[in-house]
Amino acid sequence: MTSSERAVATTENGMSRAILEISGLHHRFVHNGDSRLVLHDLSLAVRRGELVCLIGRSGCGKSTLLKIVAGFLTPAAGECRLDGHLISRPGPDRCVVFQEDALFPWLTVRENIGFGLTGRQWPRVKLDREVERFLDLVGLGEYGEHLPRTLSGGMKQRVALARVLIREPQILLMDEPFGALDAQAREEMQELLLRLVRQRQQTILFVTHDVQEAVVIADRVLLLDPGSGAIREEMQVGLDRPRDRNDVRFHACCARLHQWLRV
Amino acid sequence: MGGRAKNLAVSLLLPLATLLLWFVLSAGGLVPGYLLPSPGKVLVAGQQYIFGATGEGPYAGRFAGDLAASLARVLLGFSLAAVLGIPLGLCAGRLALVNRLVAHAVGGLRAVPGICWLPLAMIWFGIGVRTTVFLVAMAAFFPIYQNALTGAQLVAPIWFQAGAMLGISRLKGIFAILLPAAMPNIITGLRLGMGISWAYLVLGELTGVPDGLGAVIMDARMLGQTDIILVGIILIAIIGRICDRLLVGALRLCFKSARRQL
Ligand SMILES: Nc1ncnc2c1ncn2[C@@H]1O[C@H](COP(=O)(O)OP(=O)(O)OP(=O)(O)O)[C@@H](O)[C@H]1O
Ligand SMILES: [Mg+2]
Repeated sequence: MTSSERAVATTENGMSRAILEISGLHHRFVHNGDSRLVLHDLSLAVRRGELVCLIGRSGCGKSTLLKIVAGFLTPAAGECRLDGHLISRPGPDRCVVFQEDALFPWLTVRENIGFGLTGRQWPRVKLDREVERFLDLVGLGEYGEHLPRTLSGGMKQRVALARVLIREPQILLMDEPFGALDAQAREEMQELLLRLVRQRQQTILFVTHDVQEAVVIADRVLLLDPGSGAIREEMQVGLDRPRDRNDVRFHACCARLHQWLRV
Repeated sequence: MGGRAKNLAVSLLLPLATLLLWFVLSAGGLVPGYLLPSPGKVLVAGQQYIFGATGEGPYAGRFAGDLAASLARVLLGFSLAAVLGIPLGLCAGRLALVNRLVAHAVGGLRAVPGICWLPLAMIWFGIGVRTTVFLVAMAAFFPIYQNALTGAQLVAPIWFQAGAMLGISRLKGIFAILLPAAMPNIITGLRLGMGISWAYLVLGELTGVPDGLGAVIMDARMLGQTDIILVGIILIAIIGRICDRLLVGALRLCFKSARRQL
């Protein structure tokens, strides 16, 4: 099965249509004269409301793929479509939670969260209420007036999550958002994420290094293979939610993903 | 002793030591009075210059007028430099084409020491306010421009990406992202520019304008009034320092990005 066939297959075996469709994507980086093909005929599809995890070795092109979907990079060939529309530049229908701190340091937590709403001609009261709601949703009710530099890494990522969720993007792109957190904070953030996104049927493409993380949150896991530059493996995580990290089947899933990464 | 008092004491240490040295040098007769008048003499001269009634002495009561004249020139020249330097610097920092376009022109002009403009300015503008303002603007422009440019170049690309994905247009991004992100550098440039403005103010006023702090210093030299020269120097030091604090205070008042990142 070629990767483009796989993309079609995934659209057909699900109940709802694909919202993100990537087909025949190529991307190369030219560095000091020699060019390196990072993505090669990559195709994948994400269904509406689905949480897809993308795993792969460091340097295999996960961030590159996410940047193309976000519109920060233009692919050499191939196309990405969101809800049928060709992606050509960044837009609020595809929001990113970056791995690094990307909050605006000159804005308070409250202002950071409300930043994406500044374009809307909403009355002040409505705007404030909406920001307040998201502040509470991510559990930062008391930190509204804090500046980002006074927050811990986990709290910063909560703000980053709130400021994109408030825009209600069609798809959320997350690039190892919890990679810099300690194990405890990471698990808390995973739970928070699931709590926030499951009820609103948020579609997510989530990049991670962490096999456990993938099995905890994903509906489906994809392996991006550095050799071929395309999606090589796919696994439906059929476990019931909330998932039990000590369950045998949970461990079986993890083992399988570990196996993928080792080959 | 509290932390505040301790800090104040430390910051006053050097000025007080200088004053003491000055006392010793002049009172001990180590340096003759026409070269270095005693602090007491300078104090009297200063008091008369600032508070004296006109006519009491050659410089009595002139301070207010001189200050107003000098301040107006500094502010005019400095504002001109800021109004040109900040937008141009930000543009050159973000747009490679603009940077290439102006790099040689600005770099070349900067290589010319500010004092070289004096003869030309005198031919163009004659002796007076406009020459001084021109010199001040010329000199203050470069640090303001250069720091705005550096600030714009250093804005993390990720902030622009974040802005774009949150639906901020490029035009709005200038005010919502570029300006606040570059603010610390812009402030550095403005402070340097303000400092240099006072230097070139004095240069401009040495050319024979009737009023202004620089004019008083030059005038006093011709009359051999070393005490008034020292009064002028000390006043410029104090006023320059106050201007710097006021500038920072005003920026912090006007921009929350200045308040929160300084
Ligand atoms: N701007 C760039 N210029 C040149 N090469 C680049 C650039 N960005 C990425 N690369 C190269 O492309 C490859 C893929 O990079 P990418 O950041 O997408 O990897 P990744 O899968 O996200 O890795 P990690 O898990 O470490 O974040 C790497 O080999 C990297 O060296
Ligand atoms: Mg990456």
